[in-house]
Amino acid sequence: MSETTEVPKPIPEPDDESRPFWEGTLEGKLLLMKCSDCGEFRIPSRQHCDNCLSDNYTWAESSGRGVVRSLGVMHQKYHPAFEPEIPYTLAMVELEEGPRMPTNIVELNGREVQVGMPVEVTWERHEDVAVPKFRPR
Amino acid sequence: MTTPTMDASTERHLRDKYAIVGVGETTYTRGSGRTTRALGTWAIKNAMEDAGMGPGDIDGMLSYSNNDSTPSPMLAGDLGIRLNFYMDVYGGGSSTEALIGIAIGVIEAGMCNTVAIFRSMNGYSQVRIGGTGARAAAPVSGDALHARTYGWMSAGQNFSQSFMRHMYDYGTTPEQLAMVKVIHSEHASNNPKAYYKQRYTVDDVVNSRFIVKPLHLLDCCVETDNATAIIVTRADRAYDWRHTPARILSVVGRCCKPRIDMHYQHGPISTVAGHYAKDILWPNAGVGPTDVDVTGSYDAFTFTTMLQLEDYGFCKKGEGGDYVSSGAMRLGGERPNNTSGGHLCEGYTHGMNMVIENVRQLRGDVDDYCPQGPDGKRQHTFDYNEGKCRQVNDVGITANLGWAMPGTGSAMVMRKG
Ligand SMILES: [Zn+2]
Repeated sequence: MSETTEVPKPIPEPDDESRPFWEGTLEGKLLLMKCSDCGEFRIPSRQHCDNCLSDNYTWAESSGRGVVRSLGVMHQKYHPAFEPEIPYTLAMVELEEGPRMPTNIVELNGREVQVGMPVEVTWERHEDVAVPKFRPR
Repeated sequence: MTTPTMDASTERHLRDKYAIVGVGETTYTRGSGRTTRALGTWAIKNAMEDAGMGPGDIDGMLSYSNNDSTPSPMLAGDLGIRLNFYMDVYGGGSSTEALIGIAIGVIEAGMCNTVAIFRSMNGYSQVRIGGTGARAAAPVSGDALHARTYGWMSAGQNFSQSFMRHMYDYGTTPEQLAMVKVIHSEHASNNPKAYYKQRYTVDDVVNSRFIVKPLHLLDCCVETDNATAIIVTRADRAYDWRHTPARILSVVGRCCKPRIDMHYQHGPISTVAGHYAKDILWPNAGVGPTDVDVTGSYDAFTFTTMLQLEDYGFCKKGEGGDYVSSGAMRLGGERPNNTSGGHLCEGYTHGMNMVIENVRQLRGDVDDYCPQGPDGKRQHTFDYNEGKCRQVNDVGITANLGWAMPGTGSAMVMRKG
């Protein structure tokens, strides 16, 4: 495949609801929505807290630490931009604050991802956003 | 295993008041060379002939699709049917049983008398579920930010989280899951319609390449072009037609876990919607899992069959691996599953072919390789060797377990009329 036909990765396009989250990524901050009434955390962007239905929230920084709840390892060619990374790991990381976040586990250096593995956030930089991924800690 | 609220002595809701009287399908192919309109009329016409109905005997139509089919009124017109009711809904897996429930509701409401339900799809040659078709080109927006950004796009990827977590929680093995494919392939080898009739071994499955671990290629269903149709009417009219009706004891439609977005944000990841659906299905049916003779469990993947059988109570939670590898679901076993070969082998229909198969099982007239008698009915030998019989002896009650995703499922219990 020549350089000119390379397909770029799908890069997030921030909207008004998610913009604070993506702006945070550029500063290396993993921001969550935190309910101002009951304190429950959620990943963006949802207008209401599903615990108490309040729509009052602040943006609060996550510790960036979590544990792998489950995973799958992608071997099949699907989206061309991800082919160079095959096999890559799709994981559900449960953050210390509670929310579960779909992501990739990277920087494995030959390690195999396991359920229960402690992980921490690491950033895949693009031009105007950084994508939060996780690595073993 | 039955729920405490179950009371088989009391008629609940519309238990036993509706029936499936006709079923039909096209051949299962790859590269049908036909439109979904032509496939759909072919399947509905077969279902009408199966029932002995003419165009004037059907006045309602329901279908489902992922915007990859042809609307009901077009097919009805082509078949000479004038409709008093129709609706074409969005959706794939889990729609079959849900639409049967909707058909019951609209007939009960007096909106029409008899409903033909169809699913017509060029699932291989036009819109592939797991492939690199139109879906791979969709824009990154909304919740896709949390999925496509990570190369997370297919059903197999989504479901892999539930599958892997089940293996972690309960020690379920790839070899146990492989038995689902092995058994369904045995059944398909006795089904002249099956797209894949070849029998597979556990080694074949676990040595096939990974698609998305823990799914091997042979843990995944076939993709085919086909249409399928089911005709639903009131039980008091169900005996006017050619076959013994399959009477509907209960249905559940698109029952959900508490939160199904963003890949199982809440609750145990290895639990599926059947955990909730079972509390509707069994009490309304007035029977429980141990009363069921044949199951039809949506097998988009080997794992989906296991998770559903487990959460509907055919075995204890966590023992699904033992159940699917024990031989219980094999022809000749305690409770055969997907006797046509299902999605793994017969063809991919978004759930329809498992219901069609169970209707024929209840009639005692499955279309296998057994010789046909002078009355056109097969004289079943109950010899389940390759290329022989797949009729289960004396089927009284069947259960269908439909699946959209781990968080959403549908189900139905039928009895011999
Ligand atoms: Zn709250």
